Amino acid sequence: MLKLVLLLLIPVGVIASEPYASTYVPLAADDLLIVNTTVLTGTGERLTGVDVRLSRGRIEAIGSGLERDGVQVLDAEGQFLTPGIIDVHSHVGNGPSPSIASTRDVNEMIAPNTAQVWAEHSVWPQDPQFPLALAGGVTTLQILPGSGNLFGGRGVTLKNVPSRTVQGMKFPGAKQGLKMACGENPKRVYGARTQAPSTRMGNVAGYRAAWTKARHYMEQRAKPLDDSKPVPEPDLAMETLVGVLNGEILVHNHCYRADEMAVMIDVAKEFGYQISTFHHAVESYKIADLLAAEGICSAMWADWWGFKLEAFDGIPQNVALVDKAGACAIVHSDDAQGIQRLNQEAAKAMTAARRVGMDVDEAQAIAWITLNAARALGIEETTGSIEVGKAADVVLWNRNPFSVYAHAEKVFIDGYLYFDRSDTSRQPITDFDLEQTVRGGRS
Amino acid sequence: MRRGSCLRGICLAVVLWCTSASAGVAISGGKLYTMEGAEAEEGMTILISEGIIAAVGSDLEIPFDYERVDAEGKVVTPGFIESYSQLGLVEISGESTTVDGNIADYHLGPAFDVRYSINSNSTLFPVNVMEGITRAIVAPSSGNDPLAGWGGAVDLATGSLTHSEIALFGNVGAGTAAFVGGSRSAVLQRLGRAFRAARRYSRARYRPGEHDYRHQDMEALRRFRGADVPLVMEVHRANEIGQVVSLAEDLGISLVIRGGTEAWQVADLLAEHDVAVIVDPLGNLPRSYDRLGARLDNAALLHRAGVRVLISSQQTHNVHLLRQQAGNAVANGLPWITALAAVTRNPAEVFGLGNVGTLAVGNRADIVIWSGDPLEITTWAERVMVDGTWVPMQSRQTRLFERYKDLGGDKPFGFR
Repeated sequence: MLKLVLLLLIPVGVIASEPYASTYVPLAADDLLIVNTTVLTGTGERLTGVDVRLSRGRIEAIGSGLERDGVQVLDAEGQFLTPGIIDVHSHVGNGPSPSIASTRDVNEMIAPNTAQVWAEHSVWPQDPQFPLALAGGVTTLQILPGSGNLFGGRGVTLKNVPSRTVQGMKFPGAKQGLKMACGENPKRVYGARTQAPSTRMGNVAGYRAAWTKARHYMEQRAKPLDDSKPVPEPDLAMETLVGVLNGEILVHNHCYRADEMAVMIDVAKEFGYQISTFHHAVESYKIADLLAAEGICSAMWADWWGFKLEAFDGIPQNVALVDKAGACAIVHSDDAQGIQRLNQEAAKAMTAARRVGMDVDEAQAIAWITLNAARALGIEETTGSIEVGKAADVVLWNRNPFSVYAHAEKVFIDGYLYFDRSDTSRQPITDFDLEQTVRGGRS
Repeated sequence: MRRGSCLRGICLAVVLWCTSASAGVAISGGKLYTMEGAEAEEGMTILISEGIIAAVGSDLEIPFDYERVDAEGKVVTPGFIESYSQLGLVEISGESTTVDGNIADYHLGPAFDVRYSINSNSTLFPVNVMEGITRAIVAPSSGNDPLAGWGGAVDLATGSLTHSEIALFGNVGAGTAAFVGGSRSAVLQRLGRAFRAARRYSRARYRPGEHDYRHQDMEALRRFRGADVPLVMEVHRANEIGQVVSLAEDLGISLVIRGGTEAWQVADLLAEHDVAVIVDPLGNLPRSYDRLGARLDNAALLHRAGVRVLISSQQTHNVHLLRQQAGNAVANGLPWITALAAVTRNPAEVFGLGNVGTLAVGNRADIVIWSGDPLEITTWAERVMVDGTWVPMQSRQTRLFERYKDLGGDKPFGFR
């Protein structure tokens, strides 16, 4: 009896060390040989007329004339195979459709620092936007808190699989993100309440105060127990910041203006942390050299601009100029419509560059929505490219995905076919959609 | 749809005067879509003189002093027309001092008119005209009042108003229901009452109650009823689209549905009443309880039922995304040539823009030469002509690109 109790305690202990742990388990899938396809690998290569073998959830082989005996063969002549699309900035699940008061769970705008909140605790797995993103080839996405606060909280990286729970979607082993925000949003939100921050200098003072406190908190918590000094009260917001200082949580910093990004780089240096990615980053092209030197990714839109002053200098060559400078360039959506067509967003960014004579091709541009995005999320060892040994997170397109007329035909996650455009039994339907929307079968 | 031609006559006269100094232009070769028919024509020449398409043919003699443009390997179409925007009314959406697309004042409904706010210096015009969008409807954005006011039309080359009172705009849905007390029924009843009262309105006899339109609004409605212009209503839920169609039928009003997320469910009704729909081909999110039936093939289903389809970019800053929207409509079942008509001929006809939207002889020379399929996202507008004049391919965005395309060198960026 005692033995049984001890056995039961073991998994409890594991959960305690990783709270809200992923329960995602890849589904078993038959081996599949995709033949005669064109592959955009995500690593800058374009392979034509090749075969790709998926086995036990992984990409097992890539080559010409692979052995066909004993394996299901899918002839994909004329079709394109790409890595599964990864969106580093999404509010699917925490900003669902329909967007009504009862579903809006993005921004906890009660204080400038809400580093204690976790976006995953807002995610509604029945958001009908998940399967729509899947139909657009999105296999992995990061859900972030909003940008109303200086520190918005922790983001979570999900596998885009139908699940009853958010834990069932969590990307195993992916680090959480910390959402930080520059510029207009926090100062507008709190300035309107006549509290700090109400200026950009107030924003920066807010970051510095929090990081200073976090360093102190980390030192105090790390000290051996000493009866003469009280141990600091546990603080969930500080735990998040300490997670960043320890390298366990990646910083995802909403920032539009080049000069503000440069300031944020110095804030990071002052307190000893690394910024993974500047999000939105409409002015990254002005400091692409600096971003390359600092090893910071930029997650950008293809062409959004002008919706606020800090977005007024957006240009359609932003993505390509960042890439050209040798910095990590990503196309993100931040939008439940845009996430369904990130291939088109990448195509527009590529075309805008070609139009002005820049040399960019599809093999390079596909990385903006695959491998570079995986790098930003710290999952590039596992997914984001078509290479032997990597997860079989892949999309088969009916034609070149850089065409407006292209559709994702088949979407595989860890080798399992989660979406098939020509087979309605392989198109997930959320509970919300049942008998209520078109996807629920009224069409 | 015929319109009073007085204003148009004045505009035409101004255009002719402005362009008379330049010699003509001859555009030859390429795939030509005049939008007079459904097929492309090859080996054709278009002669442009004094801002007007003077001739289209295969064996035209090109006058010696004409600029000759070789469009071989290109696609030539009419300039694209955006069916709904706030161009000239919005510079920075988040900065209220630059936004004039709507009013919050309860006491100005249909009398509101955007024509007085058009900012011809807006940076949005050059950004979009060089992408091949030559004209746009400029309209009030949907607000609380079911009737938002009058819209007009602009040409994007000069950012000037070419037509005013081109249509009356409004919307029916959850937002307007809240405004009139909480039920969609009240919205429809209020609209019906107001339009009926407008028919016999006189300033001396009309005594508005607390929630009734005031005199200036009733005068606007009376003017609307006397003019042959459409009422453009943003409506998404199928039931309400049907209600608005019935109301328009009862009142003898020419109706256009904008948005129409669930319009596919009442496609036959719309076709029967000859109601055109301005569609958002990417609007497949069930983003509100008015739009649960959203689907990507809305445009295709409407077209199949015989409804005339128009397409809007949904984005004032990037009205050029009209091309991507049309391309996605094609990807989801709308015939390619119909999608092209949805951004050229159809808006010109539905809004009575007159002499644009097709490359017929005598029409204004709004012409785009594309690097390839204009509905594809890997092509671009190579040359854009509005009223016979080539548009400079320069905008604030191209200047920023030139300044920062090469970060090396010692020259301060402020001097670049």
